Amino acid sequence: MPTSSEAVGFENVSKRFRLRDGKTLKETLPSFVSRNSIFYALEDLSFEVGWGETLGIIGRNGSGKSTILKLIAGVMTPTRGRVRANGRIAPLIELGACFHPDLTGLENVYLNASILGMSDREAREQLESIIDFAELAQFMDTPVKRYSSGMSLRLAFSVAIHSQPDILLIDEAMAVGDKEFQEKCLERMRDFQRQGAAIVVVTHALELVRDYCDRAMLLEHGHKAAEGAPAEVIDRYVSIAAG
Amino acid sequence: MRQPVYSRGHLGHFVLNVWRHHELLRHLMIRDIKAQYKQSMLGYAWILLNPICQLAIMSFVFTTALRPSSQGDVPFSLFLAVGLLPWIFFANATTSATMSITSGPNLIKSVYFPREMLVIASVLVRLVDLAAGLLIVGALMVAHGQPVLWTVVWMPLLVAIHVMFVVGLSLPLAALNLFFRDVRFLVATAIALWFFLTPIFYSLSAVPERYRLIYDLNPNARLIQAYRWALFEGVSPPIESVLWAFALSGASLVLGYYVFKRMEPYFADFV
Repeated sequence: MPTSSEAVGFENVSKRFRLRDGKTLKETLPSFVSRNSIFYALEDLSFEVGWGETLGIIGRNGSGKSTILKLIAGVMTPTRGRVRANGRIAPLIELGACFHPDLTGLENVYLNASILGMSDREAREQLESIIDFAELAQFMDTPVKRYSSGMSLRLAFSVAIHSQPDILLIDEAMAVGDKEFQEKCLERMRDFQRQGAAIVVVTHALELVRDYCDRAMLLEHGHKAAEGAPAEVIDRYVSIAAG
Repeated sequence: MRQPVYSRGHLGHFVLNVWRHHELLRHLMIRDIKAQYKQSMLGYAWILLNPICQLAIMSFVFTTALRPSSQGDVPFSLFLAVGLLPWIFFANATTSATMSITSGPNLIKSVYFPREMLVIASVLVRLVDLAAGLLIVGALMVAHGQPVLWTVVWMPLLVAIHVMFVVGLSLPLAALNLFFRDVRFLVATAIALWFFLTPIFYSLSAVPERYRLIYDLNPNARLIQAYRWALFEGVSPPIESVLWAFALSGASLVLGYYVFKRMEPYFADFV
């Protein structure tokens, strides 16, 4: 693990979006004038994730959960504040997004590995383990477009966890494959926890947060509504949702 | 992957990034080539068939229908090929590179890697076409009994300058196309116009002196002229012409990369 004390740190982070996508001149000009087209996905949010810690983020749709993961992954930059992530990141966001449908499973493994920052040598060394974990040994020469959605998610998941990450970002990705495969994924998550990796999970599966997270955070309209022991935060969420 | 350190877009950083990510670059190129030809029955043969067809049509039009003024000792089809094939490289590379960022929205939204790799890869892929084109030129030269002169050693340098120009031009276009999808239509129109302002089916010597400035500032014109010097005349292209092409291409790369890197942090917000 890298030597810095925290794995992920948010310092007064705000992220602003333009709601209306000014794609034409007619739409673009008014949006510069009117202020109500601006929307804060996150506002003044601060938190930390330590090494070996798993943080579960819950909240309703549109509360800013996924934006947090995209900020950590570095695909988005904060409008204000600072985001730190000290280590190799494996983003399990939009799994399979990097796959090209016309390429075979094997070709996609190498492409995806290299997009995730693995060298070809690393990818070669991990290849057998990647294929084994995905349980797709007999389909590696098949174009990915012939895969079922479960198969391609399994392969993408497998490549990502073999990139030897220090920080794992999980966005509902545990809904991968059948029950047996899901159990294998959770087991692997336990391994990462034991090895001291930091994990941030965004999910609606409250039992996953309860059973696997060290800490939970509840988001509401881009603000932190609660943070603490998973059971308490979940109770809070459930009581808010109930009324 | 690691969290990106968004750079301010200096050239040194460009070189470093290309070196660090050369494996990714190769994989992106392989992806583009395989994806392009995998579905077709003739497959990779199209890399040769495409330019041959275009050349044949253009040669027919200009030698039979239009009857051009003589181009010295060089057969017209050969003269045309050395203009048209680099042009096809320029036009196709610029067009596909302009769309290289917008064509993979999921990729932009899920994983960070230096986004310029997508642009560079789609330009470099087109080098395969140019190489195929030069192979055709070689075959034509042999067929016409044209001697291959030592000045052919200039070709790699000239092609490198051409690549630099296309990458520099495409970087800001690809970024801008994300925010305004009008850009690719403008690019298509500009390229169509640019074709006629480049000495492809005519010689630069046929252009009246007072219009020369347009050609002097046009790297495509400079480079195509230089290709012809190197392949047909057996003399080195005029050094100041090569330096000009290099300077214009270098300036476009420095400026283009700077603009691109300034816009890069907002790609995922707009894609």
